[in-house]
Amino acid sequence: MDRRGFLKVIGGGLSVAIAPSLITQTLRAEDGRLYKTYNKVALVDSKGKAIKASSLQKETNYIFAYPFLGTPVLLVDLGEPTQKDVKLKDEKGQEYIFKGGVGKNNSIVAVSAICQHNLTHPTKDESFFSYVKRGQKSMAAKNGGVFLCAAHMSVYDPKAGGKVVSGPAPQPLANIILEIDKDDNLYAVGVLGSDKFHDYFKAFKREFKKSFGSWRKAKEEVQEKTTVSLLKEYSKDIIVY
Amino acid sequence: MKRRELFKLAAAAALTSATANAAEKKKSKESKSSFNFALLPKNGKGKRVVIIGGGWAGLSVAKRLKEYSPNSDVVLIEQRAHFVSCPISNLWLVDAVDLEFLTHSYLDAARNNGYTFFQAAAYNIDRKNKVVLTTNGDVKYDYLVVATGIDYDYSQWTKGDIELEYELRTNYPPGFMTHSEHQVIKEKLEDFEEGNFILTVPGGNYRCLPAPYERACVIADYFKKNKIKGKVILLDENPDITIKKKGFHSAFNELYKDYIQYVPSAKIEKFDLKNKKVETEIGDVYEFADAAFYPRVRGSKLLEIAGIAKDGINKKEANIDPFTYQVKDDPNIFCCGDVRPMAFSKSGNTANSEGYVVARIIANLIEGKKPTWKSPHTTCYSAVSTDPIRAISVDADYKWDKTNKVFTFANVKLNEKWQGKMGLHTGKGLLEWAKGMYRDMFD
Ligand SMILES: Cc1cc2nc3c(=O)[nH]c(=O)nc-3n(C[C@H](O)[C@H](O)[C@H](O)COP(=O)(O)OP(=O)(O)OC[C@H]3O[C@@H](n4cnc5c(N)ncnc54)[C@H](O)[C@@H]3O)c2cc1C
Ligand code: FES
Repeated sequence: MDRRGFLKVIGGGLSVAIAPSLITQTLRAEDGRLYKTYNKVALVDSKGKAIKASSLQKETNYIFAYPFLGTPVLLVDLGEPTQKDVKLKDEKGQEYIFKGGVGKNNSIVAVSAICQHNLTHPTKDESFFSYVKRGQKSMAAKNGGVFLCAAHMSVYDPKAGGKVVSGPAPQPLANIILEIDKDDNLYAVGVLGSDKFHDYFKAFKREFKKSFGSWRKAKEEVQEKTTVSLLKEYSKDIIVY
Repeated sequence: MKRRELFKLAAAAALTSATANAAEKKKSKESKSSFNFALLPKNGKGKRVVIIGGGWAGLSVAKRLKEYSPNSDVVLIEQRAHFVSCPISNLWLVDAVDLEFLTHSYLDAARNNGYTFFQAAAYNIDRKNKVVLTTNGDVKYDYLVVATGIDYDYSQWTKGDIELEYELRTNYPPGFMTHSEHQVIKEKLEDFEEGNFILTVPGGNYRCLPAPYERACVIADYFKKNKIKGKVILLDENPDITIKKKGFHSAFNELYKDYIQYVPSAKIEKFDLKNKKVETEIGDVYEFADAAFYPRVRGSKLLEIAGIAKDGINKKEANIDPFTYQVKDDPNIFCCGDVRPMAFSKSGNTANSEGYVVARIIANLIEGKKPTWKSPHTTCYSAVSTDPIRAISVDADYKWDKTNKVFTFANVKLNEKWQGKMGLHTGKGLLEWAKGMYRDMFD
């Protein structure tokens, strides 16, 4: 990154300054623009055992909390490689690059499951936000293979870094950057793109009081590990129409 | 202070106020009007953008303007003290949601989004001096957005009979503008014993195409569940259901066969309110135990008063350029939401998405850039039953038809299956749609 780009990151307000050297050393999925690191946490199952990247069922929605206890993420092995080096733009016009999915097949992606339109996200009762399999028809997307928010029909392309395909969403989904170690274990390390965490915490204050006991608890950063569940077990109803 | 000095001061004060008065008089003579300005703080150093009407369009414009053009000084003028949603109110009529779900605070909207909320009714616009005249003082503007919604147009029914109009407004309110009207309809249902309940669907481009059909469904559902010997008679001025035809017809037939009588091409010609009867153009007579009569709609009165209205499909709607939303001879005034003359669906979602478009146009103008048109978007859910809520929906954009010089629907996606899991999911979607929209306007 040149110095000007680096300053833009700081000025952007959404991102923190990270030394460019650090980025090239540990992260493959982005080039430092609109990128923010959080705690590096291991993805584990309900028993605390590490999740292996190759063990993910294809085209299946998994959910975990990251980077905060109250912010849900969807993890999907698309079964097909994503595109590479996709140029994206957030709603303020800031550009950044999605380098591609991870895993042997470059097919694993994780996105912040907070819709960029009006913040709809999976809850224990229902999930209006999910990955819809290829070939599964819905009102908003004839052929599936997309992230769909059924609240107002925003459709995002998981192979293109969460780029908006149709609907009212003003910018791509924020991506959660994943790492895989030599033993095939998965980690979440940061967030790429513009997120809506600030608005989200403000909008759902009362709900967090119910689900986390306090609003502040929901805003705590996840430490060390985060539990991955199947979305269909986490949410009573996955809503697609 | 010494007594003498005090006198001096008082004299000086009297003098200044006298000169000030003289100056004001002179000024007011020059501009032929004397303003009594409301004292408002500035929330930005740039242009003052005033929005009249804190509905689905106005709230959206105000919020987006502060986002797209943070320097502008944005003032939202709204006559009501709080916001009660029209969308979802049909569900409230039968207790499927509570009042809290519908009610939102204008102060929240203003404090969360950094603009000024000014509670007042605008009674005119001095376009020469660029001042909005309100019941709580006058407000100067650089750009003005008029988003004051609809009024009812009873003229086809009443032909100028004001007594009849006010009896209809008061005793049989349409329930398409204010919460007071919805409250009356709810009480009517709670008190209903037996007989016919008449609802009407007007002609023209009326507010919320599916809402009268949705209302027929939820009322029939209420009669059915509460074992009330009642029937909804739906007198539709149009030749058929105007939107989501298949979905509503199948709900009427499969769910409410004995509870809804749908009568297309039925325009009321005569009201006999004393004997509770109406007669249609073709001479059919319908008796009723109670009713809510929905007349045609027109643009809100302010447009007419301010001289920016024009007759079209409906009367007295905004006289604007359909692509830039600017008033034809006054480009500093924009009109959007249900006041627009374009034949877009008069829905909250359309008005909200149009708010983004108009805010972008104004922000561009402020920056000296050209306005850019983008299609507003309509996403519209309708419940066909409650407990559990089952719904159908439509999703569409608009495109300009050059040959006929009108806008038509584009990219229409219909979901008319209220049966099975699909209908239940769409029912949940209806509530989530609304919650998202309230967040969009107030958070
Ligand atoms: C029963 C019902 C169900 C509906 N269901 C849906 C639905 O499911 N989905 C959907 O998308 N839409 C629905 N709608 C339609 C939706 O409510 C309207 O299309 C929408 O409100 C239009 O927005 P607007 O901003 O143009 O007007 P409004 O929302 O009516 O706002 C206009 C505002 O201007 C204010 N105002 C007017 N004159 C003045 C003045 N002189 N000074 C100050 N303030 C003034 C009014 O008080 C009002 O708050 C429904 C409507 C009804 C009645
Ligand atoms: S909140 Fe997701 S589309 Fe509106």
